[in-house]
Parts: sequence; structure tokens; C-alpha cells
Amino acid sequence: MLKINKTVEEAKAVVALEGRLDTVTAPELEADLMGIIDGITELVLDFETLDYISSAGLRVLLSAQKTMNKQGTMKIVHVKEVIMDIFDMTGFLDILTVEQ
Amino acid sequence: MAEARIALTGRIDSNNAPQVEKDMLAQLDGLGQVPVVLDAEELHYISSAGLRVILRIKKNYPDLTITNVNSEVYEILEMTGFTEMMTVEKAYRVVDVTGCEEIGRGANGTIYRIDQDNVVKVYNNADALEDIQHEREVARLALILGIPTAISYDVVKVGESYGSVFELLNASSFSKIIVTEPEKMDWCVKEYVELLKKIHSTEVPEGKLPDLKETVLDWARFMLDYLPEEAGKKLVAMVEAIPHDDHMIHGDYHTKNVMFQNDEVLLIDMDTLAIGNPIFELASMYNAFIGYSEIDKTKIISFQGFDSETGHTFWRKSLAEYLDTKNEYKIQEVEDKARIIGYTRMIRRSIRRNGLENEEDRKEIDYWKAELLKLLARIDTLMFSRNELEIEAAEENLGLVQEFVDEHLEAAECSMKSQMQISVAVEEIFVNIARYAYAPDKGNATVRVEVSDAPVAVTITFVDHGQPYDPLAKEDPDVTLPADERRIGGLGIFITKKTMDDVVYEYKDGQNILKLKKNL
Repeated sequence: MLKINKTVEEAKAVVALEGRLDTVTAPELEADLMGIIDGITELVLDFETLDYISSAGLRVLLSAQKTMNKQGTMKIVHVKEVIMDIFDMTGFLDILTVEQ
Repeated sequence: MAEARIALTGRIDSNNAPQVEKDMLAQLDGLGQVPVVLDAEELHYISSAGLRVILRIKKNYPDLTITNVNSEVYEILEMTGFTEMMTVEKAYRVVDVTGCEEIGRGANGTIYRIDQDNVVKVYNNADALEDIQHEREVARLALILGIPTAISYDVVKVGESYGSVFELLNASSFSKIIVTEPEKMDWCVKEYVELLKKIHSTEVPEGKLPDLKETVLDWARFMLDYLPEEAGKKLVAMVEAIPHDDHMIHGDYHTKNVMFQNDEVLLIDMDTLAIGNPIFELASMYNAFIGYSEIDKTKIISFQGFDSETGHTFWRKSLAEYLDTKNEYKIQEVEDKARIIGYTRMIRRSIRRNGLENEEDRKEIDYWKAELLKLLARIDTLMFSRNELEIEAAEENLGLVQEFVDEHLEAAECSMKSQMQISVAVEEIFVNIARYAYAPDKGNATVRVEVSDAPVAVTITFVDHGQPYDPLAKEDPDVTLPADERRIGGLGIFITKKTMDDVVYEYKDGQNILKLKKNL
């Protein structure tokens, strides 16, 4: 179960996630991001209420990061410790911009 | 050979013993060595002089029975050892159950309340003395093994049948509680299941109780004549494959047979007591609450007092409680296995009662048979385990698998962090199986969760019958590369290896077996 809350203001998009980012829900996030990412130069992913991430979720983050590397910046904020651990062990802390 | 029947009356003591003896010998004169029945209905007292007369008669007529003995005379015969030397039959008190409240009903009899403190179980079978003896013995055994039950203290005559009398003070059956105090439904479920678990965890010494597997095998073999060949053979093989189990089964465990008395939950109607796999019990429970009234939903009302919807709710709640799960998929899996045996039993029973010869029963048989065939087409084993989930390996079932694993982890008081790590690992492995094991076909995966103490650890085992595939053989991804050079894939297994304490793969007997272990 994943709830996705998007706010787009000109070139800035804030996407807040609630619930679980897993095999079942990752395609939903991917489709949503694809829908708004054109022309965005600042993408903020708010993980305050995200409880869970698996490799399927990491895959979506990686592909969003690759896109944003070409057109602006991407930042993930309010990341819970359990998710930080996953970022850490997979080297994602080095390739993502993460604020706790 | 005709028997000689002699009535004994009044008192027999040293005053009249010689005369009584003379009269008896006169009646037996010329009959040869016939069986002798002494009818003691009118006998009030017998002294040792009278007893000696009987002994002398017995010497010449060894086949001697004393019948209709009242309790005072019986006591004398018992004290003097006569009850062991010859057949002594007690006189039975006569009890009338007209207008008495029916409080329980089982396969072999109906239980009525005869006064405030006592109930009588009237047997359907007129020649029930052996059944009564059997029930008394098994009830005694159950009590010794720690199962709360009532033991009969007297045998009585009820019309043409026999009954056994129990003391049951202020007791209400769970059926009655559910009807009169519906708000106590959840309490009833809890108590009902607690006793059920106690019964099923009770080991029975060898040879003390019949093995229900033999009975169920007979039912299954009976079906060979009424099912398509392949389905019939599969049914028999599935029952045969159930391993021997020496734990107790009540055999007729429904809410009319569980009583609440003075703060104690008590089991009655013990004549079906047996040993065997718990699935046999669940099958008869399914029948009592659903199967029996699946077509004619009014049947359950006259049987239990509550309607089919209440019966259904009680059954599902009880099964969830029994399996310690809220996982609907798990509950359904076990219910379906119970239904296989339940339908088998009802079809056989109805056919043996000439059900094929009338339209209404035939409709029922056809329905049960159709359901049974559907179940046999998709279910391969009648065994179940609380900590195992067998499910189609499909991505959309991931949520059910994780819910199942989480329930076990919560019971083990697993930390949030470990729970999340285990959850991720379970996802990676299950999704792998769903995507690759059977592609492009479909198949099942079994997920088993075991929690061990000292050290506290959880082991999760995944088994599938797909193509041999070792997910651990893949090289770990390079996690130091920048984003644009990163490859997708391999990360899930990498996380799994990193967060679990042990990850082992083996291919054995045509199965992929992957074990995850995490110390808690």
C-alpha cells in the first residue's frame, strides 16, 4: 500500500510518500514520476511517512536520479532510520542526496 | 437352549433360605443344565444364608445370571464378591424425558436436563449398554489425561432406550450462550478454541482410543465407487499420506457439546473420542457449523439454535483463533482441507441412508460431490501447519506472504528494524520465485516460518518445484559506482545477504529450497 501526494509548482515538484515502496507499489510511483518529471529542475521526495523500501523501490529512485542528473537536482528528505540503513548498505547514500 | 427364569422375592435369610432352595430346585427339576436367570426385581434383602443357596445352585447350573438387582442388593453382591463370580445386572431406574430441555446432541444420542443438577444422555441405539460402558471408559481416560469432562454415575432406562446420567449443575452449552448472549461470541470462541487446543495437544497412550485415520480411510475408500477414478484414488492416497498421530481428537466438537459450568468449560458427549490428525476434527467441525446445512440453511437452527450466518461466523473466528492467524488465505487453505474430509463423510453417510433414492438428498449429494471434485482438483495434501503457507507464486500474493510472516515475527516480539529487514528479504526471494521459478507457467511456493529460542532467531524457508535456480550464485553488484554507471538488478539478493545472518540455497528432490536466518 502506497499513497503518493504530488505538488508541482512551476519547475519544482514535491512528492510525499506514505506506506510501502515495494514490488507491488514501485510501478505506481514510477508511472507518477514519469508523468510530472518533464521540465522539472527540482525534485523533492518526502519520505516522512514511508516505512518500507525494497530493491524495487531503489530501482525507481535510481532511474529518477539518472533523469534528474540531466535536468536538475533531486533530494530525498525526512528519511527514517530503517530506510537509511538500506541506502547505506547499497551505496545509495553516495549517489542520492539524502536529508534525514 | 431355553433358559429357566426364577423370581426371587422379599427377603431371603436363614428363616426361609431352605424353603427358597427347595422351591428353586423344584422349578429346575427335569430341565437339564439350562442357563438360569434369577430375577431379583422384587428382592429386597439377601443374607449370607441366601447367598449360599445361590452358590449351590450355581454349582449345578454354572450359567447363572442375577438380573434386575436393586442398588441395596447390588451392594451386598458386590461386597461379597458375587458380582465377580457371576453375571449380575442392575435394575435400571426409569427416567422420563418428556418435556425436558434438550441441551446437547451428538452422533449417538441426545442429552436432556432432567432436573437442576442432572442430565441424561439418551442413546439412539436401543441396545446401548456397551456404548454406555465405552463412553464411560473413554470419559474416565480423558479426565485422567487432564481434559475436563463429566463422567456418568448411573445408567437408566428411558422408554425403549438406555441413558446415562451425569451431574451437570447450572451448565449451559456454548450454543445456548451464543443464542441468548450474542455479545459473548468472542469469549465463546476463545474458550472453545483453548479447550480444542488442549485436546489436540493431549497424547494418548497406545491402544487406548481408536485411530480416526482408519475410519476416514474407510470413508475415502467408499467414495471410490462414486467418484471419477482419478479423483477417488487421489482422495484415498491423500488420507493414506496423513502420518500417524497419537494426539486426542474429540470427534464431534461443536458448541452443543461444550458446556460452561461454574466458571469451568466442560466437554461432554465423549463416545467419539479418538486419536488422529487435527484435520479430522476440523472436518467434523466444518460439517457441524456449515457443511451439514450448506444447502438447507434451516437445518442448523433446529440443531444448534442459531442461524447459518452465526454458525459461519463462529466457525471462521474459531479457525482463525486455532491457527493463530488473521491471514484469510491461511484460514481458507485449512478450511478447504477440512471440507475434503467433511464432504466425503456426508456423502457416504447420505448414500448409506439411501440418499440417492430421493430427490432432496440427491441434490445435496450432487452439491457436495461437485464441491469435493473442485477441491480435489487443486489440493494435493490434507496436512497443514500453523507456520506454513502454501500459495501460488505470484507477485500479487506478496502482501499475503508478508502478512503471514509478520504475524509470526510480532508473536516473537521482533524489533522494527529486524522486521523491516526480514520483510525486504522475504520480498526479494518470493518475487524471484514468482518471476522465474515456473515461468511462463504457474506454480506454488511454500513459506515456512520457524522461531527458535536461545538464541532467539527466525528461520524462513521457501520451497518451490520450479526450475533449479540458485539466486545466491549471482555476483554481487558494485555498490561503489556512481548513479549513471549503476546497473539495475542483483540489489535485492545483495540486501538479503547483508541483512540476514545466514542465507542457504539447495536443490533437493526436485525442489528449490532457500533458507533465511536472522538472529533477533
